[in-house]
Formats: sequence, C-alpha cells, structure tokens
Amino acid sequence: VKVEQALRLLPGLEALAPLRGLLFSSAVSDEGAWAGSAQKLTLGKRVVSSEEMRQRMSNVLAQIVAHFSALYEAYVTALECLERDDPAEAVSSLLRAGRLEEDAGRLAQGRVWLGVALGIAKGLQNRKPEVETLLSLGRLSAVLGSLKEAARHYRLALTVAEGGFDDAGTIAACEGLGNVEVEQRGWEEARGWFSRALTLAENAHDERRIGQMLHALGELARRTGELQTATDTLRRAHERFEAQMHEEDMARVLTTEAMVLADLGLPAKAAALYREALAWAWRGQREPETEVFIRLKFARLHIETASFMEAEDEIRKAEQLAISGNLMHQLVQIYTLLGTLRGRQADEAGFVFFEQAIELARMLGRVPSLHAEIYQEYAAFKHAVGAREESEDYLERARQIRVDWIERLSVPGGRRATDIAGAIS
Amino acid sequence: MQRGLTARRYPVQVWLVHRSSTRQLRSLTNNMTVNGSALPPGGSALMEHAQATESADRRATAKRLRFLTVGASGSEAELAALAHVREWAGAAGVETEHVPDLPRAIRRLALDRWNLVFAALSDRPAEELAWWADVLRRSEGAPRLVALVQRPSMGLALQSQKLGVLDLLSLSLRFEDFSRVLESLRGTEMEEPIAFPPVDAEMVGAHALVGQHPAMLDIYKLIVRVAPSNATVLLLGESGTGKEVVARAIHQQGSNASGPFVAVNCAAIPENLLESELFGHEKGAFTGAMNRRAGRFELAIGGTLFLDEIADMSLALQAKILRAVQEREIERVGGGEVIPVDVRVVAATNHDLKAAIAQGKFREDLYYRLAIVTIDLPRLSDRGDDLLLLAAYFAQHFGPRYGKSIRAISDRALDLLRRHEWKGNVRELRNVIERAAVVATDETLRVEHLPEEFRVRVGAPAAASPVTGPDDTLGTLAANEASHIARVLAHTGGVHGAAAEILGIHRNTLARKLKEYGL
Repeated sequence: VKVEQALRLLPGLEALAPLRGLLFSSAVSDEGAWAGSAQKLTLGKRVVSSEEMRQRMSNVLAQIVAHFSALYEAYVTALECLERDDPAEAVSSLLRAGRLEEDAGRLAQGRVWLGVALGIAKGLQNRKPEVETLLSLGRLSAVLGSLKEAARHYRLALTVAEGGFDDAGTIAACEGLGNVEVEQRGWEEARGWFSRALTLAENAHDERRIGQMLHALGELARRTGELQTATDTLRRAHERFEAQMHEEDMARVLTTEAMVLADLGLPAKAAALYREALAWAWRGQREPETEVFIRLKFARLHIETASFMEAEDEIRKAEQLAISGNLMHQLVQIYTLLGTLRGRQADEAGFVFFEQAIELARMLGRVPSLHAEIYQEYAAFKHAVGAREESEDYLERARQIRVDWIERLSVPGGRRATDIAGAIS
Repeated sequence: MQRGLTARRYPVQVWLVHRSSTRQLRSLTNNMTVNGSALPPGGSALMEHAQATESADRRATAKRLRFLTVGASGSEAELAALAHVREWAGAAGVETEHVPDLPRAIRRLALDRWNLVFAALSDRPAEELAWWADVLRRSEGAPRLVALVQRPSMGLALQSQKLGVLDLLSLSLRFEDFSRVLESLRGTEMEEPIAFPPVDAEMVGAHALVGQHPAMLDIYKLIVRVAPSNATVLLLGESGTGKEVVARAIHQQGSNASGPFVAVNCAAIPENLLESELFGHEKGAFTGAMNRRAGRFELAIGGTLFLDEIADMSLALQAKILRAVQEREIERVGGGEVIPVDVRVVAATNHDLKAAIAQGKFREDLYYRLAIVTIDLPRLSDRGDDLLLLAAYFAQHFGPRYGKSIRAISDRALDLLRRHEWKGNVRELRNVIERAAVVATDETLRVEHLPEEFRVRVGAPAAASPVTGPDDTLGTLAANEASHIARVLAHTGGVHGAAAEILGIHRNTLARKLKEYGL
C-alpha cells in the first residue's frame, strides 16, 4: 500500500502523530531505482506494509510510554519539591517536562509546560529559573512562528537577567532578540543585539559563546552582502570552535563559510567546506537535523552550479535521513528543493514535489513562513516551465501568507507589515 | 601518469613481500618481478639496462603513490596500526601523511590527490564505512579505502565488498596484510585505453537513439512503419530501456510531428491529482483549483500524449482513459462540457500487463485498445556491443558538460561494464558514464572512475570474500548463507519483503539472520 493511500485511513488526530511518524519512517521505495518514476519519487509514493509496521509498533509504543513516564515523573518530582519547599527545583522539573515535549515535536504542549513553570518561577527570590524559563519560552515561540511573543519573552528575560547580573542569561536573551530581528529582516537591530551579546561573552571569557556570537554576526554580514566582513568574522568563530573541538558548532560555521564562498563565486572551495562540515557533524553528535541542514545547503550550491546529479544525491540523502528521523519540517524543505531542482532541469513533472511539500506542510499546520516559502518556490518553478499565469497565482498566494502572518505579529519598531512582506518577497 | 591512447602496455609492479622489515622491503623493491615472473639474475647488458630502467621507473612510480592515514578514536591500538602503515609505506617509497580524524581528512583530501586512505573506524563502523565510500567517491582521483577496525565481522566484510572498499583489516595489522593491499592497489593500475568508436546517433529532440544490435534495428524499422499511422502504441520493456525516447521518435516521425509531445508519468503523480492532471479541471472543482486548467489530453491536441507507467493507476481512472482513447473526447474534473481531443496515445509500462489483467488490476479492454501496435524493447545486457556505442555516446555527451574531452575507456573498465547486470539498462549506463565524466581527470575513463560496486571486482583481496576461509579453503555454511543473503538484498535494493520471498523464508527468519550475521 502506498503512503498516500495509507494516510487516507489515518484520522488527523494529534494523539496519533506518533503513528503517522511510524507510517512515514516505515515507508520504503518499491520502485526499482531505475524506474522512470524513481526520479519523481515522493514520500506519498513509497510503500508500507502492515507487517513491517506491526513489527516496529512495540518500539514506538515503548517510546511513547517512556515519554509519558518521564513527563509524569517530572510532574511528581515537581510536586515533591513543593512538599519539601524547594520551588526552584520544581521549576527545573517542569522545564524538563517542557523540553521533553519539545524534543518529541509537541511544541504547543511544551509551551504549556513552560507556562506552568513560569508561573512558579515568577514567585522565586532567585531569578535564574525565571530567566531560564523565559528563554525557553522565547525560543519555542519563535519556532512556532509567534515572533511577537518570542520578543516579549526575550525582553523580559533580558531585564531580569541584567538585574541579577546573570551573564549567561543576558547573552542568551540578546541572542534571542537578535534572532527574532533576523526573522523580520531587521538587520541593523539584529547586529546590535549580537554585538552586545559578543561583548558580554568576551567579558565573561566564554570562548564558545564568543564563537557563537561571531558566527551569528558573520552570518548576518553574509546576508547583507558584506562578504569580506563575513569571511573575517566567521574565520574567528571557526578558529575558536576548532581549538575547543566543538563539532556541532564547527559543522554550522563551516556551512556558513561555504555559503560565503559560494556567494564569492568560489563553488569548488565551497563544496570542500560543505564536505568538511558534514564530517564534523558526523564526528559530533550525529544529529540528523544538522546533517540535513548542511546537505540542503550543499544541494543548493550544486543547483546553482548546474551540477544536478550531485544536487539530487545530496537531497535524496537528506530525504532518507528526514524520513528515518521523522523530521517533517525538513521533509517539506526537501521536497520544495527537489521541485526547485526539477524546475532548473525544465522538468514540468517536478510539480509533484511541491504538491507533496504542500501536503506535508498542511499536516504540520504551523509556521506560515514555511508555507510561503513553498508557494514562492512553486511560483518560480511554474515560471521556469512556462506556466506564467499559475506562477503569478502562486506568487500572490506566497505574498498573502506573509502579509497575513506579519500583520498578525504587529511587528514592533514601527515597520509596516506590507513593507516587510515586500522586502521578503 | 598521463596515458596516451596509443599506449598499449605499462610496467607492471607486483610486489612479492613476506617479511615486515625495512631491509627486506628495500631489497624486494630492488628485485621486483614484472608481470609476476622473476627477472633472471645478471644476464646480458641489455637486460641489465632494462632492469635498471625498470627499477628506476618503479621507484618513480612508487614515489608517486600517496597514502593518507586517518585516525578515529586515538586509541593505542589504532595509533600503533597506523604508525606501522606509515613505517612500511615509507620503506616502500610511498609518501604518507597522517591526520587525526575524519574532518581533517576531508580537508586534506580537498587539497591534494591521494591514492589510498588507511582509515581507522570508530564505534559505528558500518555507518562510517558508507560515509567513507561516499567521501572518497567525491574526492579527486577517487582514492581507494582500506578500513581498519577493532574486530572485523562478516557483516562488515560483506558491506566493504559491496561498497568497493579495497580491504577491511583488523587493527592488529600484520605486514602481510599491508603488502597484500599494496599488491592489489598496483594490480588496479594496469589499464589500457581503448578508443571509443565513432557514434552515429539518431537524435530525437534532446535524446538520441543509439545502437546497431539487430533487435534495435528491428525497432527502428517498426518505428518508421508505425509512425505515419495514428495507431495507439504500447511500449513494453524494463526500466531504463528507452521507452520515452522511442515514444518521442514515433512522434517525431509521425504526421503530427509539428504538434506537441506531452509526457505523463502516471506512477509519479499523487493519486488525488492524476485525474485533474490528465483531464484538467474547472475553477473551484476542488480545494486548490484556483482557476480553470487544461489537462494533459487537451495540451496534447494535435500531437502525442505519452502515458508512461500506465499500469500504476486506479481502475476507475483506467475507465476514463479508455473512454478518452476510444471516443476521443474528455470532460474536465468539475465540468460538464465534452471536449474533443485529437491526440495520438503512446503508452508504456515495465509491468506484465497480462498478469495485471489476470489479477484484476488492469482493464483488459484498455489493454487491447492500447496495444494496437506493441513494441518490446530489449534489455541492455541483450544488446551486445551497443554497450560500447552507448558508453561512447554518453561520454561524448557528458564530457563537454564537465569540461572534459573523453575519447577512450580502459580495457578493465570496459570489461567491468560488460560484466555488469544493468538492472537499470541504458538509464543506469547513462548515470554511470555521467558520474565517470565528473571525476575523470584525462581523456580515458578508468576503473577508478566507476562506482564502488564496479570497482570491487578488480583487485578485491581475499579478506573481503566471505565464502572462503584462510588459505582459500571453502567457507562455512553460515558464511555462504550470509553472502547469499547479502546478494539477494542487494538485488532487491534492501527491501526485506522481496528478499524473503526470493530466499523462500519468512520475513522474521530473514530479520533474525540479518541480526545474526550483522548484515
């Protein structure tokens, strides 16, 4: 049975998300690798067998039980902490529950746990748990696309952390505010926040945070086209990470350095850095998210240099990782990029990838920027294959999603939503 | 070494070394054999001159070899093994360099060309092997890999073989292992270029029909005969045999050649979209139908509609296709208007449609409506010397795209192509030659440019062979079973269900055996 058929039997209930994850990760390609349709293979066209799913079901159920056990345990521990009058420890337990939910991809539930934690943290004399909770809430809100809320949490965290001379908390709050600005294309504001975080990290002699802030500033310089500044800043970050053998950070900074080299018109050097970045990711925690991230950037380079075969290789590897790891958000990006690749190859059948991306994004049901990104790329694809009218329709849809989203945010700083949407598209 | 197309024979170095001492290695370097036969001691002045020249050549060749040793965990056993490699390699005149880990190795591989990488594997050797194979395939000169592990298992040995790893060795490295690696590496260097023949391709748009095999000549004749009529054609053949190219050729030779050629891969399109894709839809016919849209049948009016992988659609949709083909009219989804469609339909499948009919999965009436003329395309492995012609055509086609001028293929590479199974037929060959064109460094395609699964057949040492024990004794039943399971899995592309079916065992039994053998 194909995944697209199997999905029709599965109600769209939140509680069944792990079952959907099991369905996706059990899916295999039954096409011979050389069938004409293999090049157009999407998740929906993979096949699943009930037997395979049944075999793997016990593992999934065990994970679910372990997850809920950990949540219950966190709650009971928090209760114990209150019994022995240790509310700070209770906040830690609730924060742990929030992170467990976040790790399981249940972001909205995670936010609820963090809200409960914040309620207790606010009453504490020690403000560190409050800062920690606010930072977690800020990050989660940003991931969920609620930038206004994220900014509010980060600002509160900043105020409390500064008042308590909490350097780590202040740095994290500045970083968070910088990231929120980046999401809204507020480059100068972002630079201000990252620079402030860098100064604080330098004062605290925190080498890793210095490296991370340099990376953030380097990435910002790249995005604003200051490639020389980006090169210098990223090199400083790189040197720090390598000296301390922070593999994950190395993988990320090398990826950004590769993007700068690509922008400088040096694709061969960029490719070498992408490969090295993959190796660092491999040497580190082997987080599939990091590997998928690097492979997609690498694939973009291949697409830009018309190395389509290599691009396809990278994207398909990322696809396999994302399917095995149930990384839905990344799968949406993967199919969007496959569609873009087919557009560059003038293969009009590439629309199947955009349709798959739209369907998966619909299942995710959040992150308007992701939806807008799909339609924007879909519009470019339609334009490339000569369907001008449809291209305009999709472009308009992308623009509308962004305007709606930004209007909902009531962006601070006086910038008008339509201006920002215009700058984005 | 740059090898001209006229060169036919190269000095062959087979190093017969048996002791782990530098003195003996040097001595052996000076008394190497050529083509496996020991040179007579002393002899005429001419022989002495020849020996001196060959020795110098060999030393020069040896100096050109470069090995990179790569650490992983930094354990004592690993450091000792890699130090041995460097010591033995240095004594043999091979240049070596050491890097502590995989990321630094990638950096080093990007800067220079290496012949061989001795890599210690860490805690997840199976995954790491696959990683290394991928990294080296993309590195300049496609260096070979020798993997060093704490405890080589049968599963790892089989995986190494599949990935084209030159050898899989224990960290308790012996000199004999090293010399065998060196011997097998040099064995792979004996390749002679064979100039590609000129190719007379029949261009079909951006595609080409290439081949002189009698089966293909029959197909060309059939295309010419059938094209002028408006008859529906059914193309049968395995994946990658060129069904779409033939469909395009029929269109190009036909009376509707000036009309559009519209291709639809029925297996690739989501089921819920296929109907609207084929027949179009009216505005608002379903969620997402923002505007009225013409389907592929309409777009192909006055031309040819190519329905690829026709077996992959529901019976309900087959009924609609039948109506469209029979009555030459369609209705858009959500619309009532009947639209006449003057379209020639060419359909294709790699499935056995008669079996599908027997199973109730394909409509018999549609089959007979489509199969007015049937063309069976041969497998690449049944097309004899067309393989060389096609390889030549693809080399000529892809070379310029990657800035290369490829004029020849080595004898060994061609031999490997000829022995390959070609499950993906011409499409697979095209892919192999394109990849080779990417990594080729001069005008000859060699074994090192072929994918790992091809390269393993050249110079594969005994260590990677699971079916024989030490000293070439016959392997155990378990070893043979593991090897056979691995082959079947490779055949099914890793699909367990299909593998279990071929092996005639239950999936659970297969799962147990895979675990048992570490596959």
